[in-house]
Order: sequence, then structure tokens, then C-alpha cells
Amino acid sequence: MKLITEFIKSAKVAAIGALALAGSVSAEPLKIAYSDWPGWVAWEIGIKKGWFKEAGVEVEFEWYDYVASMDAYVAGSVDAVSMTNGDALVTGATGKPSTCIIINDYSNGNDMIVAAPGISTIKDLKGKKVGVEEGFVCHLLLLKGLKDAGMEASDVTIVNTPTNETAQVLKSGAVDAIGAWQPNSGQALKAVSGSTPVFTSKDAPGIIYDGLFVSAESLEKNKEDWAKVVSVWYKIVDFMKNEDNLDEALAILSKRVNLKPEEYEPFLEGTYILSLDEALARWEEAKGLGSIYGSTKYVDDFNLEFEVYKEAQDASKYLDPSFTKAYAASKK
Amino acid sequence: MPKQKTPWLRVHKPLSKKRQTFLTILSFLIPILLWCAVSYTPFIWHPDIKLDISANRSDVTTVYTAGDRLSKEYFPTFVDAVRKANADATAGINPNASPRATRRSNQKDLRQIGAVAVKNGWLEHEQTEDDAALYHIWRDLATGTKISKSPQLSEENLTIIKQNWATLSATSPDYKSSSLPETPILKLIPQGTASNPVYLPAPHEVITTGWRDFNASVEEGEITMSARFLQSIKIVFGGFLLSCLIGIPLGIMCGTFDFFSRLFEPFIDFFRYLPAPTFSTLLVAIFLANDAPKIALVFVGTFFQMVLIISKTTRLLDHSLLEAAQTLGAKPTQLLKNVVVPGILPNLYDDLRILLGWAWTWLVIAELIGVKSGLTEFIETQGRYRNFDRVFPIIFMIGFVGFFTDQILAYSKGFFFPWLRVGSSPLERLRQFFGVPSDQNKSKAV
Repeated sequence: MKLITEFIKSAKVAAIGALALAGSVSAEPLKIAYSDWPGWVAWEIGIKKGWFKEAGVEVEFEWYDYVASMDAYVAGSVDAVSMTNGDALVTGATGKPSTCIIINDYSNGNDMIVAAPGISTIKDLKGKKVGVEEGFVCHLLLLKGLKDAGMEASDVTIVNTPTNETAQVLKSGAVDAIGAWQPNSGQALKAVSGSTPVFTSKDAPGIIYDGLFVSAESLEKNKEDWAKVVSVWYKIVDFMKNEDNLDEALAILSKRVNLKPEEYEPFLEGTYILSLDEALARWEEAKGLGSIYGSTKYVDDFNLEFEVYKEAQDASKYLDPSFTKAYAASKK
Repeated sequence: MPKQKTPWLRVHKPLSKKRQTFLTILSFLIPILLWCAVSYTPFIWHPDIKLDISANRSDVTTVYTAGDRLSKEYFPTFVDAVRKANADATAGINPNASPRATRRSNQKDLRQIGAVAVKNGWLEHEQTEDDAALYHIWRDLATGTKISKSPQLSEENLTIIKQNWATLSATSPDYKSSSLPETPILKLIPQGTASNPVYLPAPHEVITTGWRDFNASVEEGEITMSARFLQSIKIVFGGFLLSCLIGIPLGIMCGTFDFFSRLFEPFIDFFRYLPAPTFSTLLVAIFLANDAPKIALVFVGTFFQMVLIISKTTRLLDHSLLEAAQTLGAKPTQLLKNVVVPGILPNLYDDLRILLGWAWTWLVIAELIGVKSGLTEFIETQGRYRNFDRVFPIIFMIGFVGFFTDQILAYSKGFFFPWLRVGSSPLERLRQFFGVPSDQNKSKAV
């Protein structure tokens, strides 16, 4: 009997140890998951310059792979996640809804379908294999490209590929094209000499908006803190829009994704960071891709058509322009 | 006695100590020599061109920088594109939208010389964007004050440097960003040397980049390599120790009492076939981010094997020992404490050595779940960006740490279990390990 009690004792110690490990995460600061899209890497400037502390808000940024960041959000280990308006719908329909409070940018060419040498148009992809992350932004881009070219989704075979592996997968020859965003798409172009982008977000401007999506609980609990985050974002935007800061900004941004500054520079064009005024214009409710409402509605229809999810999502529930508007009002 | 030459190949006969040492060294030397041969003999393989000088192009988004590798087929296309851009510039065609963009493009063209300057030791690695210093490098190269030995600049490039310097010096002898010409200057023509693919860097490249990564001063908030190393160690040993804490007692109980064996082992036997990585998302959901799910993964990967291995080791204990103790009137508690545990300790020690190696193999997967961390994060990100010269040092380091930990543990077994020593003192074992002839051998020889 003594043995059993001793065994139980040691098990207890171990269990307490395990619990202590699990409980070591406290819930105090705002937690934001972000990933390698250039519009979100931009947060790095605010982080490195200590602007969040200056604004009086404690924020913990957690670096993830894109899909892992959305998983972390759904699992509740972060309060907010950087994602595209389309993926917010997918995440909302299949996991956990969220509200966009900042539009960082729209994709202006950095999301690409990159095809292996010998394939120069999207039509050539008929019957070929394409590596994209199923159900997420580049899948959407691919479907849009196919639709524009008068093709069907069934004309290509999707190979579910993590975006950060796309360069290697294209290089290996396992697929004929991949869908990815910078820096991954650029890595693919570089890894496979002679590969070309056959369709980019520049061909469908406004289909991909990138934003900060916050959980309803956190938004309600920490309204003032999130307003401060918005103010820091526009400080970052002002910094980046000033061309005298170009080298400094590039040094910070490129470092986050382990590139050289000169390799990062072309990304700035492919991710159009919206200034405050430009963002306000995009926040206006309107039809068409020039408004985030129109864009989100468009993507929702698209997702339904291609059965990414089954039930229509109410775009307006995902969007909250009040933070940006309040910040704009405070600036005047 | 005349020395008779013993053959190297003899069935089931050990070689002399000297020969053993020689072969041990050779077993490490052969792969290294092979690696050197493939890397340094230009006519073996070498399908790529490694750029010494690159060029920025305004017509594509793909930026190649010095150190990047291009296939030998693609390199001429790249060079031709740059030559064409130069021809356009001479013809007065400006691809840039604004004077500001042209100045920026010129600035980037000027920076291409940075890689040459670093390679010649004129500038430090961090100075490749120090425009003022680079400006003077252009001057010195144009006037012949400095001559680049490695890489040797082509005639074509020397002409370009002189032409550019004529344009630049006309506006300002020193660097001023505002006084850069508003027409495009000429781009250096890409130069490079034959090299192996990026995944097989040469030994000296691995050593120099490894040295730099380990010694690089990092900015505040960044993680140094030694901190990464500690992070990784924490995961491995955290998971391993936690697993020991439960696994060892449980294993011993199962090996000693049929009751526990029947109660636990069937399920554990089943569970160990569930691959640990499949639990990764589950563990992240339970333990959230940071280290906890990683430690838990190492635990899951090690624990179940541990219980089974230890229970088996316990069962292998010499039964006569138990019987003897029972004859002397030992109670079950005493048997366990005074016979079973001391009896299996040496074998348990060996088991744990193997299991620790096991824990190391889970490290890589563990560090990739949730927020990536430690050495694996570095390997993963650098590998993704194809900087394999930065990946190899880390892989080697993990290997060395594992190898030396195990060697040290194997060696120190003699200290922990002196009764197992077969006539040789620790000092003797150390000598044997390094192949130094011992006093004993010497006296025998005499």
C-alpha cells in the first residue's frame, strides 16, 4: 500500500508540474498573432520603436505561419489575428468570428500564382497541379484567375501546400504552379529560374484586403486599448510613407523575414499600405471591390459558389470602421 | 623480437589501440574530405554560378544579391538583361517613374559594390549600406587606388566603374543623397564563380557563416544563438525529466509487480504507436503557446517507450538475487528498495542514455508547433530562405551536443557504478578514449 501512495504522490508532483507549465501564460496584455505578409510585417516598426509602450498599451505580438496564426486565434490563445477579409469569413464560418478594426493594406501584386517554366498563362494550367493552401487567400486568387480566364475550378488539381513550403514544392516539380504571397512567392520565383507569375492580385485589385481582426470579447473588454493600437498603426503608416525613412524601414522589415533590405524593397509596391484617408474611403459601405464591404460581400459569394463553406456570412458583422473613424476625428 | 606485421583484416580479432584510433579519426575524416573534394574541385559537379556582384533590375520583382546562386543556364539571361538596361541608360531611356525613383535606383546600383568591398576586407559585413564609404570605394576603384583581388573585376566592369565615377565626381566628391544623378548610372555587370547548389555550401562557407551567427551581436529583443540553444536544451531536458519523473517509477513498478504490468502496459503498448506529432495541434490547444506544448510533445514522444523499456530492464534482473533476499526475509518494500533498484541501476542508466537520444529526435518537431522557437526556428527560417550555409552549423552543433553528451555519460558510467569497472580506472578509460598508450601497456612492452 505504501508503494501505491508513494506512486500517487509522485504522480501528483508531476501533474502539478504540468499544470504549472500550462498556467504560465497570463492573459494581461493584448495578444496579436501576425505572420509574414508585408502589410503585417509593418507592425514590426511599431514594435521595434517601442511605440506601443509610448501609446500606453501593452501588446504582445506573436509570430506565426499564416494558417497557424488563424488556428491560434480560433483556439483562443490570442486576442486578435492579422488576416485577409476573405480568410476572416472562412475562419468565422468554420471556427470563430472576428471583427476587423484596421485595414492595413490591399494586395497589389504580392499575392501570386507562380507557374513553372513553360507555362505563361493561366489557361495553360488546364489539367495541371497547383499547390495552394486549400480554402485560404491564394486559393481564392487562383479561383478568381480561373474564372476570369473562363475556366472551371475542376480544370486544375489542387494540392494542399503550406504557403511557406510552396517554393520548395514548386522546385521539386511535384506541382506545375503554386499560389503564395511575398516573400514566399518571390522565393519560388528565385528558386525556380524561369518561373513566372501568371496571375497576381494586381489583376484583381481589391479582392484581398488585409486587416487586423479582433475577437468580440477582447474588443468589448479592452476598447480603449484597441483604439491605442489603431493610433500606433497610423504612426507606422506615416513613418513608412515618408521616403526619407525608407532604408530604416527596410532594415527593420526585411530582418523580420530574414531577407536583405534590397530583396524586400519590391514588396512595398505589391502591398499597398493605406494611409488614413485612403483607409477611410475603403471603409465606406459600397458595392464593388473599392470598398471593403463590397469586397467582403464579393468574396462571400465566391466562397459559397466554390463551397468553401455552406452558409452565407454577413459581411457587416465582420467590419467595424468606428475605430478608424474615431481616430481620424481625434486627429482633426 | 623482430616486429611482425599484423594484417589489418582479421576475422573477429580486435585491432591494436593505435590502429583503432587511426580508424576512428579516419571515419570522421573521410566524409569531410569527400565534402572538400566535391566543393573545391571545379570540374566536379558545380552546376550553378554564385554571384560575387549582382545587379538590381527595375523590370522584375526578383532581386538577386551577391551570394545568391543562379543556374548556369539562366546566368547569361541575367547578364544580358543588365547589359540591355545599361544600353538603355546610355541611350537616355529611363525606366523609373520619377527623379526620386531614379535616385533610389542609382543608390541601389552604387551599393552593388558593397559585396566586393566586404570580400576584400575594405568594409565590414554590416557596412554594405554605408553609402558614404561605398562612394569612396567607387572612387578608389576608378582611380586605381584600390584593386579588387577577389573577385577580380572584369574589364567591362572596370570601364563601367570609371564611367560612373566620372558622372558621380562631376556632381560631388563625397556622398550626398540629394546630389545623386537624376539619370540612371550604369549597372555593374553580374559576375560570379562556378559553385555547387545552395544546399551544399563549401566547408569554409559553413565555418565562416557559423562563426558569424554565433558571435553576431544582436539587437535588443532579438534572440542570440546561445539563448536559442538554451531554449532547445530546456525543451529536451524539460520533456525528458518530466518523463523520467513518472516513467521511471512506473516502469520499475510494472517490471516488479505483475499487477501494475497488467494494469498499465497493454494501454501504453497501444499508445506508443500513436505518433507523437499527431498530438501537436491538440497539445497547443491544451497548453497554449510558448514552451508548455513543446515540452509536452517531447514527453509524449518519450514517456511511453520509457515505461516499456524500463519495465523490461527490471524484469531482466537476476532472479537469484531476489530469491536470496527473500530467503533472508526481505519484505516487498525492502526488495524493491534494496535489491531491484540498485540491481537495475546500471542498465537503467544505459536505457536513459538511449531515451535521451530519443528525446532529442522529438526536439525538431516540438519546436515547430505553436510559436516556433529555439534552434529549429532558426533552421526552419534560414532553410526556407535557402541560407543553408547558416543551417549546417546548427545541425552540426545539435549533433555534437548529442554525441558528446552521450560520450560523457558513457564515460562517467564508471564513476557512478564503480563495481562495473573491468580493471580499468577512470584515468585509464580516458586514455583509451583518446588512444594514449597507458603505463600498463608500456610495462608489458618492456
